[in-house]
Amino acid sequence: MSTGALAELRGDWEALVAEARRTSTFAVELAALSADELPDLLHFLAAAPALPFHFISLHAPSKGRRLREKQLIAMLMEVGRSVDAIVVHPDAMDEPARYAALGSALVLENMDSRKRDGRTVAELEPYFAALPQAGFCFDVAHAASVDEELGEGERLLDGFGARLRHVHVSSLDEDCHHVPLSADDEERFAPLLRRCRDVPWILEAPLRET
Amino acid sequence: MQSPAGALERLAAHSAEGFPNLLAARALTAARLAEMRARVASVSLPADASIVLFGSWGRGELTAHSDDDWLLLVDGPLRAEHDPIVATLRDLLGAEDRKPGTQDVFGAAASAHVLARRIGLDEDTNRSLTRRMLLLLESVPVAGDDAYERCWVHVLDSYLEDATKDFRPPRFLLNDLVRYWRTICVDFVGKQREDEEKWGLRNAKLRTGRKVLFAAGLLPILLCDRHQQAAMRDFLVEQLRAPATDRLAAAFAAYDLRDGGGRALDAYDRWIGMLGDDATRSELAAVRRETADASDAYARVRRSGRELEAGLLALLFETPLVVFVREYGVF
Repeated sequence: MSTGALAELRGDWEALVAEARRTSTFAVELAALSADELPDLLHFLAAAPALPFHFISLHAPSKGRRLREKQLIAMLMEVGRSVDAIVVHPDAMDEPARYAALGSALVLENMDSRKRDGRTVAELEPYFAALPQAGFCFDVAHAASVDEELGEGERLLDGFGARLRHVHVSSLDEDCHHVPLSADDEERFAPLLRRCRDVPWILEAPLRET
Repeated sequence: MQSPAGALERLAAHSAEGFPNLLAARALTAARLAEMRARVASVSLPADASIVLFGSWGRGELTAHSDDDWLLLVDGPLRAEHDPIVATLRDLLGAEDRKPGTQDVFGAAASAHVLARRIGLDEDTNRSLTRRMLLLLESVPVAGDDAYERCWVHVLDSYLEDATKDFRPPRFLLNDLVRYWRTICVDFVGKQREDEEKWGLRNAKLRTGRKVLFAAGLLPILLCDRHQQAAMRDFLVEQLRAPATDRLAAAFAAYDLRDGGGRALDAYDRWIGMLGDDATRSELAAVRRETADASDAYARVRRSGRELEAGLLALLFETPLVVFVREYGVF
């Protein structure tokens, strides 16, 4: 579960972790989507006892960044070895090469159709060229928003599958907000997700009620 | 299921860079095996004896620092005639820092008949369990090939004589393999309590090479579930004679998990690269439990180990193999 899906608990990291734990103790994404959430998250990670999850990802801020990029990277480096992945949106990077300091913990996510960059293989290639140690977070719904036929999703996995660290799973509404995975999308995404059975899947929205 | 021979190369299209370290290690192994055969050619062997190398030699994963883990393997009882051969081999093999480990598992003579007859109970020591399992899973002869062949088959047959059911994995072999893997894990902690000196390298090998050894042994045994009893022996011979990474690559392909297989064996490829890198190896050799979190090399090993394990777990639990794992993997 991504804590970004638990808007009503935002800011209360203990409650967010407890709620994520109710979904699974296998994997969690601690999402500081807004820059002002990051200091509290870092403080929580530094002070918290060991977390129960086998895979911990930290989603770096993708909006509202007031910090200078160097400061942000320095803050992210503080958590370096205590998480398995640090997800960064390519379109939120000013100078991608700076993020090399995060080493193999850095993970780049493919973007949705609203964004102007980082959506396709061609757009992501320069980022990975600048960051050879970076992993790939495949957001299946983002890929589907770029190409409903899912050809771009296949190409993303062909191109960056060797770097794949984890997957974001959800559907998107018409404004590209993450919503629970619909039955139709579950079936539609299955061929792509079948290629990702060995890596953690992070739910970007709660599971739909059945 | 397609023969495992060549499966690693076939999976390379799904890897980051085509498994450069694994393939280089295979090439190095082939070259060094030819040298080794030439080196021991002057040793006069009786017809019942063979000179056998184990570990990375058998896996085709030799690096510059691999030990020469060898046995004089005998197809029958040990005799006084074998003693001077062992003495000669101790001079010939394991030069410089390549001597066999200090557990007395290797660097000696062993009777395949004893290994085959004493499976289980008190007389089946850690040493004999290790020799027997590694003979089946990762060994290669450099002299006395006919005797080796007879020994290898004799040990395999000793497990299969009780496997009388069609479409059921040979449980005796399965249980001994699982026992061996768990023994490795338990002994890791036992050694850690005795001596932390090699903790970093031992831990790294447990996370990587030992898992490959176990999984590549487990898969063919589980896949016997597809065969009638009469065909199991030939199936196991074909599987176990292939390098472990070929067995794994073949299983990833057979269960349509090529992407995950590519990632898992990429991770293992990185580990083989680390083993061959002097600086990384030195850093790992110096790592202790209390300093592990500060080591960059150890962090890379841990990541590779996790990715390797994730791929293997997906193969065992996210494919139709889960039926066999559920049926035979626990009880």
